[in-house]
Amino acid sequence: MRNFSITGRCLAAPPPADWREQLTQLLGAKPRRIGTWAELGLYGALSCMADAGEKTLPPDAILLLTSRRGTYAATSAALTQMHNDLPLPLTFLQTQPSQLLALLAAQMDWIGHACFLADAQSQDLLRLATAQMGGGGALLGCVDETNGGSTRWLRLRHDVTEKYDFVSIFSDWMGAAE
Amino acid sequence: MSPVYLSGRGLACALGLELGASVASLKSRCDATSFYSLPGQPDVRFPYRSIACDKGDWSARACQLVRRVAYEAGAQHIRGGVLFIATSSFDIGAVEQGESGMDYKAFADKVASWLDWTGPVYLMSTACTSSLNAMIAVHALLSTGELTDALVLGVELDNRLTLGGFAALQLLTRHRSKPFGVDRDGLVLGEAVAALRFSTREVSSWRMLGGANVVDGRQPTSASASAVTSMYQRALANSGLAADAIDLIKVQAAGSPGNDAIEAQGLRDMFQIIPPLVSLKAVIGHTMGASGAAEVALLTACLEQGVWPTYADAVDDILDVHLTAHQPESVHRVMATILGFGGGHATVVMERA
Repeated sequence: MRNFSITGRCLAAPPPADWREQLTQLLGAKPRRIGTWAELGLYGALSCMADAGEKTLPPDAILLLTSRRGTYAATSAALTQMHNDLPLPLTFLQTQPSQLLALLAAQMDWIGHACFLADAQSQDLLRLATAQMGGGGALLGCVDETNGGSTRWLRLRHDVTEKYDFVSIFSDWMGAAE
Repeated sequence: MSPVYLSGRGLACALGLELGASVASLKSRCDATSFYSLPGQPDVRFPYRSIACDKGDWSARACQLVRRVAYEAGAQHIRGGVLFIATSSFDIGAVEQGESGMDYKAFADKVASWLDWTGPVYLMSTACTSSLNAMIAVHALLSTGELTDALVLGVELDNRLTLGGFAALQLLTRHRSKPFGVDRDGLVLGEAVAALRFSTREVSSWRMLGGANVVDGRQPTSASASAVTSMYQRALANSGLAADAIDLIKVQAAGSPGNDAIEAQGLRDMFQIIPPLVSLKAVIGHTMGASGAAEVALLTACLEQGVWPTYADAVDDILDVHLTAHQPESVHRVMATILGFGGGHATVVMERA
């Protein structure tokens, strides 16, 4: 296992009462038609990047996102719409977790490797991040809108000098989400 | 880095319940199109490439297909390895039938239990690129040498939500899929369960060299030519190859008016001389999250057996790309590409010994 340093973090579980206002500030405008899960994801990721002092990721960075329930609310809405008619196009798009990856990439003006892994366990997510991470490091997120909502993000960079037990720290970070 | 071999394959799709049967159906030009009606669209019938497997409850049918396909790929030999389930729709068909709730963990546990799986399980969902991203992840994990065996299981089975969503987005044709076709007017969706077994221990005739996944969020429902180019450049770089080392590209070419044109532009921008191209969408439909694994399984088997798809429709000259009518004489290195929702562009590089 390689050594990492945590250069930015956001742990909002639950998010602060004014998180939507903060998100509007981060985006420069109110988000439109993207759903609460994606809004929470944007809020957490952009807060984490701000904490890291970065506006975008390097081209060889990776973005891995996980969630216990993901697009549960949007999928429920789409299924309800399907009782009598086709789902609304935007509702259907919101059922796809990858839409958040696209939103994040667009917001950061970044093009790169991003994946959604549903309900990933901490050790599995870290193993994959370690194997796929390039010199640009990783942005890891865990976002849920159920049970009051939560958005947890870490910005990781390789750091050969770090000596702490990162596996334990990462498991603790994910632990609250599991 | 440890070499990563494609050591086993299994496939159930509209062509057949196993890979050998699918290749035989493709060879005999068997057409297996069914039709689908949707709520609010009583007079419209959308073509659909379904798997000819007894309808029952969704989970029982899925269990039957997953077990069958995984067994064909030899998954029973590596139950302690890494399992990647790749899907865009999870078990939403079971939810629609009232069999289960929407719960990722329950779905992953259910599939793992069908296979008596004891190793780590990942559930990858990046829309249509899901199973190619699972392959890219497996390649990274196995290349480290810490793990030796993995199974990529693409699962995309009948559900109304996916068809309804694609219909709502006006992405479906009412006729047939026409890859790069002159009057292409949309996609034909399909079902597939596909299994690819990878190993660093079991040498086989196909080796995975690498791949790349590029998310470009500027157009979340379509591809971008610059991302297509970036995807190929990255995949070649991490496979240690130059562009002229590629003998064949399996393209997305699902028959979309916009995306086919963007993909063609990306190919023209990337390659001075575009390698021979092949598309499998017209024969199995677009099987979304399973499509990468399904098409890699089918393509590699076709190459081994000298079977090649035929195209009923003329290619659009404006696109300035061509689908090769015959299997090229010497194919050693292949790229297999899928483009999807969420600005996803993914390709993998396979080498034949």
